[in-house]
Amino acid sequence: MGNSLLELDEVQKDYRIRSFGRVIRTTKALDKLSLKVEKGQIFGFLGPNGAGKTTTIKCITGILQSDAGSIKIEGENIEENSFVNKNKIGFLPEQIGLYGNLNCFETLAFYAGFYDLNENDIEKRGSNLLKILGLKKDSKRPVREFSLGMKKRLALAIALLHEPQILVLDEPTSGLDPRGVKALRSVLRELNQEGLTILLSSHVLSEVQEICTHVGIINNGKLIRQESIQKIREKVQKTAIKLSLRVKNFDKDNREDLTQKKGVNVIEENDLGKHQQIILRLKEKLIPWVTNNLVSNDVQIFSIEPQDTSLEDVFMMETGGGNED
Amino acid sequence: MKISRRLNQWNNLKTWQPLIIAISLIMIIAILHKAHWELNTETNPIDTWKGKKVTNDNNETNINFPENIGDSITFKGILMTSPKFEVYSNDSIVLGEYSKDEALVYDENLYGKTIINLSGMRILVNGDLSGEFFESEIITVKAYVIENTSYYTENGQNITLNREGWEAIPEDIHLASDTDYYFFGTELIILAIGSYYSLNRIPNLKNQLGFAKHLALFEFKRGLKAPRMIVLGSFFTIFIVGIGWLLGDLQNSTSVFAVTSGNDGLLRLSYFSFFVVSLAAIAVSVDTIHKERQSNTLNMLLARPINRETIVLGKALGLTMVVGVPAFIAQVLGLYFMTIAGEMPTIGCMLAFLIFGQIMIFTMVTFQLCLAISAKNGADVVIYGLGAWLLFSVVWTLLVYAVSFVIGIDVSAQNFENDPEYQAIASRLALLNPGFVYQMAVGLFAHRTISIDFEGVPGWLLLLSLVLWPLTCLRIATWLFKREMRG
Repeated sequence: MGNSLLELDEVQKDYRIRSFGRVIRTTKALDKLSLKVEKGQIFGFLGPNGAGKTTTIKCITGILQSDAGSIKIEGENIEENSFVNKNKIGFLPEQIGLYGNLNCFETLAFYAGFYDLNENDIEKRGSNLLKILGLKKDSKRPVREFSLGMKKRLALAIALLHEPQILVLDEPTSGLDPRGVKALRSVLRELNQEGLTILLSSHVLSEVQEICTHVGIINNGKLIRQESIQKIREKVQKTAIKLSLRVKNFDKDNREDLTQKKGVNVIEENDLGKHQQIILRLKEKLIPWVTNNLVSNDVQIFSIEPQDTSLEDVFMMETGGGNED
Repeated sequence: MKISRRLNQWNNLKTWQPLIIAISLIMIIAILHKAHWELNTETNPIDTWKGKKVTNDNNETNINFPENIGDSITFKGILMTSPKFEVYSNDSIVLGEYSKDEALVYDENLYGKTIINLSGMRILVNGDLSGEFFESEIITVKAYVIENTSYYTENGQNITLNREGWEAIPEDIHLASDTDYYFFGTELIILAIGSYYSLNRIPNLKNQLGFAKHLALFEFKRGLKAPRMIVLGSFFTIFIVGIGWLLGDLQNSTSVFAVTSGNDGLLRLSYFSFFVVSLAAIAVSVDTIHKERQSNTLNMLLARPINRETIVLGKALGLTMVVGVPAFIAQVLGLYFMTIAGEMPTIGCMLAFLIFGQIMIFTMVTFQLCLAISAKNGADVVIYGLGAWLLFSVVWTLLVYAVSFVIGIDVSAQNFENDPEYQAIASRLALLNPGFVYQMAVGLFAHRTISIDFEGVPGWLLLLSLVLWPLTCLRIATWLFKREMRG
């Protein structure tokens, strides 16, 4: 088990569509999903829409119950002693639901009532969190008057109030302005430095790349890759590299010629005016073949530059270009 | 294979094993209870009464029963009439008159004796039972077959009546509840033990109860401030107080709507209370789950260490308080104004009115929660809620008419509502309506015992129904909620 904090083992989840109480259709959301999050990690959970990210998070936080498999926190099955184990989890949902008539302190006091916290703890920790998250001066205002960013910060305060061991965030930056995104990112980094393990799902790959130490990619309810960001990059680079070529006379036929070769992908074409830019993903050993092919087809090559493989490239490769649904 | 599967199922029910064992034992005791009455008493006195042979021979009338003179049978039945109206006195009988119904000739020896009507059987009791027993009470009577001879005149002819009849002494008459209470007491003790051990097996019960309280208080504070509750609360308070006053005033009236006593007034007030309070109970809980789902507050709640059962329980308790507290105040005020204008009901009846009122509200809230959880959209929620209120409060009588018609009662006949068969159906169907259960339970406490018959529905069944309604609704609501939240 090592230093594993959260461990999902072959978790399965089907959504059932009912009519008059009878199940008329089931949709597989998670298909024997397994993943591990170790203590101190910031784990980015990636996947196209409908891949099962939110379902996984809902199963971890107990909003949904899995149909099979196990979800363990510190080696203990969450559902077996959910009272103790849910205390170890803080949760920030994508869609924030707060009672509009309550103010910050009343909101914190309401959610704190479900944890072993006395009034002093609530007051002390609540004040501290509101201060860190920049809500202190608005603490007396009813939540209905808050912007989405403020609501997210308050929801984060709720998630952190009982001092969880792992913070689970579902699309934490969705709907936030760039300043809000930056502030949230900075808070998450600080919390992680203080020892908090973080699991977050996000569509913003650059954000995951920037903040996360580890990444899991999910597609069709299955985890297809889980590693540190660095290792993923290295592995991808071993199998494929990205080249940016500045060329002239590159046309449709040249493009077809290249893409017909196994292991070569034209992923971008830009018209730079005097020249054209083409970006290729290909196996390293095929570089001579590409240059020969282009030259023999009267394409003039002005420059060849290697490009960094981004998480987005990995994501696109792993998920087959992203299944928008 | 089957046995091991059953064993697995049993083991999975670990928490509820003690309660299941307790309920099984209670069922066995209930069977023994029934067997006790069937083996030791005649539970259909009318059969014995119908077994008599009346023969007319010249100037002689003979009434004979299959039983021998001196034989005794303990009968168990319902007092169909109030004994205080069945005591013979010089005002109530005409000496020398032969009563076919009572199968005897009135004479001076009957003065001070009571002829009881036990489920249709006439038994002559050698004593005055007025104030001792009351109409609708279920009693046991140890009666003996006696014979005597008396004379009467019919169409100018002197006729000798050789009569066999059933007689009893007051000491041999008891409320059935004297024995029933031993059985019910044992059952309650077993239920309490089973519940105690089952509850002890629920993980973190104390914490979960604390969460339920926390959620209930939150719902209560929030609900009281809700505009719809302010409107409905004001409306039902004015309504209950006004009706209370009116019912008190009607106790001094001679109109067709006259109220006969304080208890009668309270029974009617309980119906009117149900009429308005149930609407408020449904209105406050109509969208509770749906709205939380829409606003995503439910997900925030589900992510806490609170069980799904606790969420439903907490919400049900909170919403019950939202309606229950103002309703309690309105009911107390209604009672006060009723007693100012009229007679004071019995303490038991008043307590039942107030306490069972809270149970009724809890029932309506949990019933509506079941509908609210199942509903797929806001429109469904409102339609279900309104439908439930209309069914229980307004159109129930039509439903009873329809059922009666289907089973062959002529509902177009005049005074068909006095037909015992119709009344029996109405009583039994009333158990399926929490409003009527509430009203009848209040009526039960106007009596001194639970051995009361409400047109075929015994008092214990009424109390059982009063308890089962909220528990069943709560159980179904938690089951539906867990199913819906499972995805």
